[in-house]
Amino acid sequence: MPPQVQQLIDALTATPPLEWYLVVGALMFAIGGWGVLIRRNAVVVFMCVELMINAVNLTLVAFADYLPNAGGLGVSYAVLVIAIAAAEIAVGLAIVLAVFRTRRTVNVDEITSMRG
Amino acid sequence: MQTVGQQLIITAIPTLPALVFLVLVLTGRLLMENAQYVAILGVTISLVFSVFALLFVAGIVPGGGEPIEFSVNWIDLGLGGSFPMGVYIDGLAAVMLVVVCFVSLMIQLYSGAFMEGDKRFAWYYAILNLFTASMLGLVLAPNFIELYVFWELVGLCSYLLVGHWYEKPSARDAAIKAFVVTRIGDAALFVGIIIFWATTGSVAFSDISVAAQSGFLGGSLLTTTVILVFFGAVGKSAQFPLHVWLPDAMEGPTPVSALIHAATMVAAGVYLVARTYDIFVQSPTAMLVIAYIGGFTALMAATMALVKKDIKRVIAYSTVSQLGYMMLGLGLGSYTAGFFHLYNHAFFKALLFLCAGSIIYAMDSYNLFDMGGLWRRMPITFGTMLIAGLSLSGVFPFAGFWSKDAIIASAYDEHYYLLFGMALLTVFLTAFYIFRAIFLAFTGEPRTEPAREAAESPGIMTGPMMLLAFFAVVSGWVGIPEGFGLPVKDYFSEFVHPSEFATTTLGIEAPAFSYALGGISFAAALLGIGLAYTLYVARPEWAGALAARFSWLYTFLDKGWYFDALYGATFVRSAMWLGRATRRFDRNVIGGLVGGIGRGTLGTGGLLQRLQSGGVQNYALFILLSVLIIGVIVGAQYAVLVVGLIALVTITAFAVGTRL
Repeated sequence: MPPQVQQLIDALTATPPLEWYLVVGALMFAIGGWGVLIRRNAVVVFMCVELMINAVNLTLVAFADYLPNAGGLGVSYAVLVIAIAAAEIAVGLAIVLAVFRTRRTVNVDEITSMRG
Repeated sequence: MQTVGQQLIITAIPTLPALVFLVLVLTGRLLMENAQYVAILGVTISLVFSVFALLFVAGIVPGGGEPIEFSVNWIDLGLGGSFPMGVYIDGLAAVMLVVVCFVSLMIQLYSGAFMEGDKRFAWYYAILNLFTASMLGLVLAPNFIELYVFWELVGLCSYLLVGHWYEKPSARDAAIKAFVVTRIGDAALFVGIIIFWATTGSVAFSDISVAAQSGFLGGSLLTTTVILVFFGAVGKSAQFPLHVWLPDAMEGPTPVSALIHAATMVAAGVYLVARTYDIFVQSPTAMLVIAYIGGFTALMAATMALVKKDIKRVIAYSTVSQLGYMMLGLGLGSYTAGFFHLYNHAFFKALLFLCAGSIIYAMDSYNLFDMGGLWRRMPITFGTMLIAGLSLSGVFPFAGFWSKDAIIASAYDEHYYLLFGMALLTVFLTAFYIFRAIFLAFTGEPRTEPAREAAESPGIMTGPMMLLAFFAVVSGWVGIPEGFGLPVKDYFSEFVHPSEFATTTLGIEAPAFSYALGGISFAAALLGIGLAYTLYVARPEWAGALAARFSWLYTFLDKGWYFDALYGATFVRSAMWLGRATRRFDRNVIGGLVGGIGRGTLGTGGLLQRLQSGGVQNYALFILLSVLIIGVIVGAQYAVLVVGLIALVTITAFAVGTRL
């Protein structure tokens, strides 16, 4: 096995450092936020929100694993966030459905009846 | 010492009318005209109890013979002292209690007919009873605070009663005038009370007197304070310069005028001076001020009464004048004579008003020149008014003679010849103006149709009048001076006398009765009656000629020496100016500030309104921006990094914004 291949295998099987997780989480969060801000379809907005939530979850779990003093508390938070996300999606989709029934659209740009 | 039962009886004297007030206020709409029976019952019991108090103090009831005195703590300030509520009845208070109850009872009997069919009949009776209750409470008060409470209640009641027919603008104005003018005096009285409290630590009359004697309060401060208290009495008793409210108060129902003038309102001022006499005598200056204000008021008001056309106003000015006599008597140190005049005056002045009310009831006019020849149609009114007039003029042997003569004699004995001359001139003028009114109203030919058809008033009105007429004759007989030569004792001065302290401080012996002085004052009164007879019965054309000849004087007197015009031009106008200035300040400055704040908020809201686009993504953007800003503030150490991030996000936001 050439040393370069060995190096690559080592690199792939080595435990990734904490920063990698954080970078992935931040990227997911940014993508989700970007989607929330610019997508027009309410359902897609919700999916982006879900992306943001899971980015946070990833960060939490990573911290829980890497920081010895955290004592695994981050994991329980992650479980909590998952539960809340499920509830939020249930309510949110119900609202979207209700809006769709009355207005025949899920375009968030057109839903501005709360304009001041 | 009194037993608890006796104390209860004393307490019931002012409480009963107050209770009647409550009952009538609560059930007046149901009782309607039956309210008078409730009221009369209450006052009658009060009168009986007052007579009991009088007998007790006089020593006729076993266990009595000395002043009644008891009190409870009302407000306890701990170390700061306390304000008690109590009762103190000596001869002075006992006589006053009986007079107030008696006159009030007469007037309430009379009002039943006079006010028949009035819209607010029960309310009228309710206030009449509150008035009586307040006056009785004032009479019983042993300290300044308690007195002041009832003092203000009296003022309030007079306001309500003078303005009883408040549909009439003139009645409304008169009520406000009465209230405001007396309030000036009240303010002075209150300042006086505060000074007493601050310097002596007590508000009880006896304590203050003792404190002043032992030097806690003296010199010019004592004089000032005493004069402030006297100024309160000036307001209530309508003395110069605060006399202007009393003639206007004639807008109230006539029985109310009788009550105000005889027993309740104006007597309060004289009573206050008599009550706190021990304090007053310690300041000779203040006594002199009282004497001169009294003497001047007596003369001034008498001249004003000379030309009035309104029968009630003649009598009103007469009250001002007679109150001046009382103040004169008190100021000169003849305590008994001054109060004796108040006591006699209560009967004949109440009677005069009830007679005037009887005429008004019969012919619905106040104007003397609408009347004439009434003696044939209203014999009882004529007879009683004649008695009252004689008593007021000070004709022997009617009640007024004895007290008036005592005051004039003391002025002479104390060598205040100016005051003596003023008082004597006033006797002459008094006799003239009251007989002018009587001759104009009752003699000659009827001048108008109502006068021709006038009929005597019903028995419920003439009954109290005849009772009062009886007292207008005999009330003075209890105080016939020893020197007169009749084998009767001078019960009054034995019963109502200044304290030993006051007597020794003043160093005045009560003047012995002098036939010469009595004769002079009697002659002055007869002269006045004679002149009135000449001008208004024998030679009526002379009166008109005189008025035309001295028209400037006539107008001057008729306008009441232009006091109303003077006060109108100075105090009223400046108060109005102040009011307008305040209104302008309120409208422009305060209103502008408040309006500005409102408009500013509205404008800012309008600007911020644009942010509320309704689009959910805008809100999300705001949230994101806010979080970033907070992040900047918290993580200031990464400033450069964060600024870059914010720049990035802002650009993104603009990009998003253009798409939104």
